[in-house]
Amino acid sequence: MLTYILRRFFFLTFVLFGVSVLLFGILMTFSPERRAAAYVTTPQQAKDIPRIIQQFGLDDPFYVQYVRWIKEVSRGNMGWSLVAARPVGEAFWRYFPITLEMNLYAAPIVIFLGIWLGSVSGIHRDSWIDHSTRIFAIIGWSLPTFLFALVLLMVFYGYFQMFSPGVLSDALAMSIIDHPDQYTAYTGMLTIDGLLNGRLDIALDALHHLVLPILTYVIVVVALNMRVMRSGIIEELSKDYVLTARAKGADRRTIHYRHARRNALLPVVTVAGQLVAMSMEGSIAVEVVYNRQGIGWWLAESATQLDMPVLMCICLFMGVVFVVTNLTIDILYAYIDPRIRLN
Amino acid sequence: MTPLIRTENLVTNFYTYEGVVRALNGVSLVVDHGTTFGLVGESGCGKSVAVRSMMRIIQEPGRVEGGRVVAFFDPRDKRRGIDLLQQSEAYMEHLRGDQISMIFQEPNAALNPIMSIGDQVAESFLFHKKKEMAAAVLAAMDRENGRPPWPLGAFQRALYARTAVSPRDPLVALTGRLPLVRRWQMRLRREALRRSVEIIGKLGIPNPEAVARLYPHNLSGGMKQRIVIAIALACSPLLLIADEATSNLDVTIQAQILDLLRHLKETEIASILLITHDLGVVAETCDRVGVMYAGNLCEVANVTDLFNAPRHPYTRALLEAVPRLHQDGPLRSIEGAVPNLVNPPAGCRFHPRCPEARAICRKHFPETVHLGGDHSVACYLYTDRPRGEGAA
Repeated sequence: MLTYILRRFFFLTFVLFGVSVLLFGILMTFSPERRAAAYVTTPQQAKDIPRIIQQFGLDDPFYVQYVRWIKEVSRGNMGWSLVAARPVGEAFWRYFPITLEMNLYAAPIVIFLGIWLGSVSGIHRDSWIDHSTRIFAIIGWSLPTFLFALVLLMVFYGYFQMFSPGVLSDALAMSIIDHPDQYTAYTGMLTIDGLLNGRLDIALDALHHLVLPILTYVIVVVALNMRVMRSGIIEELSKDYVLTARAKGADRRTIHYRHARRNALLPVVTVAGQLVAMSMEGSIAVEVVYNRQGIGWWLAESATQLDMPVLMCICLFMGVVFVVTNLTIDILYAYIDPRIRLN
Repeated sequence: MTPLIRTENLVTNFYTYEGVVRALNGVSLVVDHGTTFGLVGESGCGKSVAVRSMMRIIQEPGRVEGGRVVAFFDPRDKRRGIDLLQQSEAYMEHLRGDQISMIFQEPNAALNPIMSIGDQVAESFLFHKKKEMAAAVLAAMDRENGRPPWPLGAFQRALYARTAVSPRDPLVALTGRLPLVRRWQMRLRREALRRSVEIIGKLGIPNPEAVARLYPHNLSGGMKQRIVIAIALACSPLLLIADEATSNLDVTIQAQILDLLRHLKETEIASILLITHDLGVVAETCDRVGVMYAGNLCEVANVTDLFNAPRHPYTRALLEAVPRLHQDGPLRSIEGAVPNLVNPPAGCRFHPRCPEARAICRKHFPETVHLGGDHSVACYLYTDRPRGEGAA
């Protein structure tokens, strides 16, 4: 088991190498001038472009630039983020908690709601509950996230003034800034920090701001999970071992929950794992619409401004996240399914 | 002979997208106490549907739509019997696995792949023998009552005492569901596992303790079939239905399983209903035989009568199609194909392939005639009357 995990982490380095070469290669298709222009803010500075190219070696061969970048990264220097106006590493830890906080609440909802709704609709196939979850799933899966987020924002904030965008109300944000000695950012996640600092008002207000983003995200993402669970349950219920269980005298509850659901969970573990991994880069639409400055928002901003170090950083991060998630999925699989042996 | 279970005009239909599949068209058969009844016929003739209808485990989109299944399991009800089709689902759950149980065709699919063998066998005991097992646990608890009864232990003991009186006690049911709290049943599960190991060992599996901890994929097909039989036998049922239990096994394993069934019939269970398409198996093991064709039972007779003097043209054709060692010339087969049950032929469903078909065969299904010596047949060679009510 341990050797298996270690081996997977060993492969992680190759994954990261591949990802970084690929992305670096794509970014190299921009001309040196285009990349230097990212550091130019006024027309007057345009004459500095040749100097910037010279200074940073932007017209060096691909491998020279890549090796230079790798050297700096291995020293812990991820570069400077223009968007955040601070070093990339520092900026990452500033934005990441915002995304992580949302996922911390959204992921369990997505997983458990998906499994629950999926099993209920699979068990009561073609009943009203199956049809209504199907409609729910189609709406969630096919509506563009940004549109759905905007509609929710318009209805709840626009008409009912209920859930405002952002991460924290202005008054509370000001109180933190005004008294920096009374508030320590332990995790960067406002709901948790609020509790740790004994500021229930901050925690509740942050949670209040999380309602709409989580709602949007859950409705969009739960659909896939739910449908996979539903088809899994339906498939399992038609299998012969269910008949054996019925012939034994098993009641419906036992058949559905003890036999069929555990078998149907296998594909759901894969899907749910991928969903959670994907959500780690933040849903761009959700973060932009609700004005939450997390990884997704940062990624979108950096991409439009060709903020190369940031893009590289987020891609490497996602590489790590996916490898770790896949590893977790494999371990969970081995736990659920005795037929699967690791190594 | 005292009947154990009897079906009367059993009708089962499947509502598929292609149309209504009329899988059973009024099947009446009797399985007597202490006998082995063989049900033979080609694939798709409704043998499995018939027995699943009897147990009421027809899967969607099938429905049992007519007839009666009268069981004489309860000694108090010897004369009248109970119509299983009229009983509640809870009653059937209580009956299945305890009084009637079933062995399935494909041992590789019949076991839950992610549940250990021991747990799967133990389920039978947990469904039906809770009361006895709780009493056993209670007795064991009282015997080892050396340490002071700490409060949780006393609570546990009280729950076992309640289970021993009535396994459907509301408090028992509630605490059996709550997470963590339901762990009070650990000893019950252990007792069920102990009994499972016992029954697995009884079926000739070496090292049953180790096998109980394995999963289906660790076992061979023959071993799996023995486990399926162990599940079916766990509560010593009155009727064991073997649905093509040996069809998918090697010939040697097949012989072993048949020997096992024969042995079990003498020691453990009252009657066996054996479904097969292998006439050799029938000749070897059965007392009475029913021949099915396209959802109808065409002939029922004692095994020697059927093989020596088959009456129905289909039975004759079937027996002629069996290859023999000293036979010259090509193997005989039945002309034509099995009818599509969405749109079966009118009248006797065998008439398009029957060498002796007459005009009336195309119009009405014949009534079942009793020819004496417990030999009954549904064919116009022996009667002129069509079947009365319930005929399709």
